[in-house]
Formats: sequence, C-alpha cells, structure tokens
Amino acid sequence: MQGLLERAFLVPFERLREQLASVVEATLTVVVILVVGGLLAWTVRQVLFRLLKTLQFDRLAESMGFARTIERTQIFRSASDFGARVAQGFVWLIIVLFALNAANTQMTDSLVARFVNYVPDILTAALVLLLGSVISRFLGRSVLLAAVNAQWAGARLLAGGVRVLVMMLAVVIALEQLQIGRTALLTAFAILFGGIVVAGAIAFGLGARDLAREWLQSKMKGRETEEEEVLRHL
Amino acid sequence: MERVLPEELHGRLKEIGDVELLVGIPSYNNARTIGQVVRAAAAGLEKYFPNRKSLIVNSDGGSKDGTREVVLSTELDHDSLLLVAHRVNPIHRISTPYHGVPGKGSAFRTIFAMAKQLNAKACVVVDSDLRSITPHWIELLAGPVLEREFDYIAPYYLRHKYDGTITNGIIYPMTRALFGKRVRQPIGGDFGFSGRLAACYLEKNVWESDVARFGIDIWMTLTAIAEGFRVGQSYLGAKLHDAKDPGGDLTSMFRQVVGSVFSLMENYENKWQPLTGSEPVPMFGFPFEVGVEPIQVNVERMTKAFTQGVKDLREIYASFLSPATLAGLEEATRLSGDAFRLPDQLWVHVIYEYASAFHHRKLDRDHLMQSLVPLYLGRTASFVLEVRESPALEVEERIEKLCGVFELEKPYLIERWGTRAGKESPHARTA
Repeated sequence: MQGLLERAFLVPFERLREQLASVVEATLTVVVILVVGGLLAWTVRQVLFRLLKTLQFDRLAESMGFARTIERTQIFRSASDFGARVAQGFVWLIIVLFALNAANTQMTDSLVARFVNYVPDILTAALVLLLGSVISRFLGRSVLLAAVNAQWAGARLLAGGVRVLVMMLAVVIALEQLQIGRTALLTAFAILFGGIVVAGAIAFGLGARDLAREWLQSKMKGRETEEEEVLRHL
Repeated sequence: MERVLPEELHGRLKEIGDVELLVGIPSYNNARTIGQVVRAAAAGLEKYFPNRKSLIVNSDGGSKDGTREVVLSTELDHDSLLLVAHRVNPIHRISTPYHGVPGKGSAFRTIFAMAKQLNAKACVVVDSDLRSITPHWIELLAGPVLEREFDYIAPYYLRHKYDGTITNGIIYPMTRALFGKRVRQPIGGDFGFSGRLAACYLEKNVWESDVARFGIDIWMTLTAIAEGFRVGQSYLGAKLHDAKDPGGDLTSMFRQVVGSVFSLMENYENKWQPLTGSEPVPMFGFPFEVGVEPIQVNVERMTKAFTQGVKDLREIYASFLSPATLAGLEEATRLSGDAFRLPDQLWVHVIYEYASAFHHRKLDRDHLMQSLVPLYLGRTASFVLEVRESPALEVEERIEKLCGVFELEKPYLIERWGTRAGKESPHARTA
C-alpha cells in the first residue's frame, strides 16, 4: 500500500518539487542577472555619456553631419546621448543572452546559439547601413550643390532621389546579409530601380521635352549664358 | 630639388652657370600667344637689363600645339628696339616640361627650383596668354627687386569695373584686412620676386595641394607678406589676356583660390590675428589711363542663382552660418530687379563665417567652397547694380569702402575663428 502511495503521489510530487525548484532557481538567476545587468547597462550609459561629452563627440558628429539627423529623431538629445544609449543597448543584449543561457533550457540554449552565430551578420548589416547613410548624405549633398550651381530647378528633388536610392541600395545589401527575403527583396529592388529609371526617362522625355531639347541644344552648341557673359572672376 | 627639375636639364643648367635675372613663363597649349610674350620678355631684358646675365624659362604642362617649339624659335627683331647698349651675354632660353600635379603652381615650382640652382638674384613670372605685355613690364617687375632690394612685386593693372570680381570682393579685401598690406592685385598672375623668396617658396610643402594648381598666385602673395618679405607693386597698365579661368568653372576657382586663402589663414594664424588696419605698399611705375575691354554681365542670371542657392541650400547654410547672417541672406532674396542688394556688412560676415567654418571643418571643404558660389554671384550682382552708372574712380572708391568694412569687422572674424562657428555669438550683429 505504501509502495503504491509512493509511486502514485510522492514520487511525482517529489519530481514536481524538483522541477519547480529548478525553475524557480533558474528564474531567480535570470531575474538577478537582469537586475544586475540593468544596473550595469545604466552605469555604462552614464559613464559613456560623460566620456563622449568630454571627448567632444557631439562636435565630431556635427562635423560629419550626423548631429542634425540624430536630433531630428526627437528620441536622442544629442550624439553623445545616442552613442551612450546604443552602448546601453548592446550591454542589455549581452545581459539578455547571458540570462537566457542561465535559464538553461533546450529552447533558450538553441536560441542563444543561433543568435551568437547570427551576430557577425548583424554587425555587417549595421556597418553597411552606417556606410550607406554616410555615402547617401555625401552624394546627396554633392548632387545638390552641383545642381544648384548649374541652376537646375529640381536640384533638391534630384539630390533627395540620389539619397533615397543609395540608402535603398544599402538597405537591400543589409537585408541580403541578414538573409531576410533575399530573392523577393532583390526582385523588388530591381523592379523599383528599373521603374524609377524608366519613369525618369519618360518624365524627362515627355514631361520636360522643352528642357530636354534645350539641354541637348546647349550641349551641342555651347551654353547661351556662356556666350553672352564674359565676366572674368579672378 | 633634384626631383623637381628633369634629369636632362641639369647638364644645360651647368652649361649656363649662374644668372642674375630669370623670366619664367608657365604654359599649356599657348602656341598662339606665347611668341609675343617671349618677344616682350627678351626685348625687356635687352633694353632694361643689358648687363645682367639672363634666362627665359618656359615651364610647360605638356602642350600638344607646339608651344615649346614656338618658345625656342621666336626671334627678336633687334633693329626695331632702337637699343642704346648691347648685351655682353646672350639671353639663354629653355623650354622644359614640369613634373607633378598639372597646374600653374607646379610650373612655378620648376621655375623656383631653376632660380635656386642658378642663384638668380631676381625672377619675373608672366602668363603665357598675355596680349598686352610690353618690354617695360620686365623692368617694372624685376627693377625694384634688383635695384631697390624688394622681395616681391605684385602687378597693378587697370581693369574694367566688372573685371576680377573675386579679387575685388574677396581676395583684395581679405589680404588687406588679414595682413595689413594694400596689394591691389594679389592674384594678378604676373610677379617679380627675389631669389631668396623663390628659395623660401621652394621649401614649403604645398606642392600636392591646390597651391600646385591655381592657388599659386594668392599663395605667393600671402606667403611673401606673412613671412615678412619686402613687398611692393608696379603699375603695368591694362591686362589683356585670353579669358581662361582655373578649371573653367567657378567651383574649382573657389576651391583653389578662396580655399587657399582660408588654408593660409590657418598657417599664419599668429601673424594675422594681432594686426589691425592696413597700409599702402610702395608703388612703382607711371600710372596712365588706358582703355579696357568691355565686359557683359547677366545680372538676372546671377540673382536667380543667388535666390535658388539660398532656398535650396538653406539646410547646408544653417549648419555653419549664424542665424543673423542667414536671415540677412533670406531678406536679400525678397529684393528683386534693380533693388537687389547684398549689403557690405552682410557680405563680410558671410566670408568671415565661411573662413571660420573652413577652419572648424563644419562641412566637407569642397562642399563648403561649392556652397559659396551662389552667394558670391548674389554679391557680384549687387555690386554690378550698384556701380552700373559709376565711373572707374568711383568704383575704386566703392571697393575701398568694402575693404574698410572688412578691416572694421576683423574682430568678428577673430571671435568666430576662436570659437565654434555655426552657433549664434553674443556679439553677432544683425547685418
């Protein structure tokens, strides 16, 4: 009778208790890791913010043309704030991975392993996006200045188009790196890019026939303005 | 120096030995005009310096039109010169290709190197596209160096009131305000200088920069002044030459010429900051009236360029110009036709804020220089409208007035130069 009791109730109960204890222990470990990690992430943010301020990171960002974009998001107060929060985010990410690892379940172990393998791809994609952002801004500004100095009426539109195209290319490369919707993305980009080129050609050819003619004429005959003006600047 | 001069030239230079006076002519496809320049230089040497051993050097950038052959084959008609004295030594003549970055600066570097190697006492450099050069120019540019111990002689030309608008609106006033010397044509292109100044130029490490291109003229002038050499100017009359601006477009011109001034401001920060006011430099030659080539200006195109620039580049301007200056520019866009004006003080603030933005690298420097073009066109349009009915003398007074504002506002430049530009300064005045 006692054996039956043990088998029917005590053993499962003991197993349940052990399982609960291990879950509670794992949960407590996770909670402790998250709390301590949260404090660590907060400290990292504060220290890094002060460090970046001291190193005049805001000025550097301003000279590179990032400061305005960062401030325009209305999420970050300054470039230093952005840098500090990004670092905090990284620390948080590591803490969460650490906590998941501490949970020691099959699912979390697999998740952590997959994520760790994915990290180089994420970093590469982030770098591609960063470079894309820098290059798109630079090229956009170059096109804007050249177009304004050539007195083209749609200078801003043209520059904006160049910025968007370069950024789109960067996004497609980044997503390709992350292996997200590879074929669909490439096809979509090819269709979109081709569409823009065709639309541009049609718009220029039909919508701006006069402009196209004048432009071609000026190229073939030399610009009218240059003929009528002989101003020597130096 | 070994690397500056072509190997094949060393033997020829040894053969010539030391010279007292060297005339340098940089060229690139100037076969049409260089013969006249060589003739004028040779006649000048024959007539005014018959006892001084001389050399004419053509430093060529790889002409394909036979420029070098023209230099070497041009003959001087001695009979027409009515010479009193006859030369003891013949005038040597060399035409050599230069090495390095293609441009006038690299051509000059070869001339400096040759002057140093031959221990030349004085050098004269003249453009190869000149149509108004006379033998007297050689005397006016070399004489003060050889006989009065001057180190640098800038040209003083009579020009049409609309001619040289970068010189009149930026370079001359900046030269005056920064270094306190009233050199009227600091980027004239034809200069006289001493051998020791040529050696000083040669030692500078600028030959891969815009100085090697068309920044050379302003670099030579400002370096001579800033390094404390004796500077003067000579009256040469009118300058007629083939219109050939650097790079063929304003953007290159701004990068090479105005950019060079801003770079030199960094190099000689400790020299220009303590200076206030300006003084005239000694003038040589006999001023006389000459007719100048008429110049047509399309004011409407320039004001349109200005208005579009202020509208389309507003975001770029806002990143380094003060709010007061930006507001002044926007106000100017609301003026149209003959009423269009860009006031002196506003223009001076624009230039000083650009210099400061260049110094603080507020923007990519190429982009910064490009963004100045529409504002310059606005200022040029304003100037043309203002002096349209004025005679040359009044126009000169008008330029002097602008220079006065540049000098008066120098503390504003120093303030912005020393602080982070782009933010409103407590002392910024509304233009």
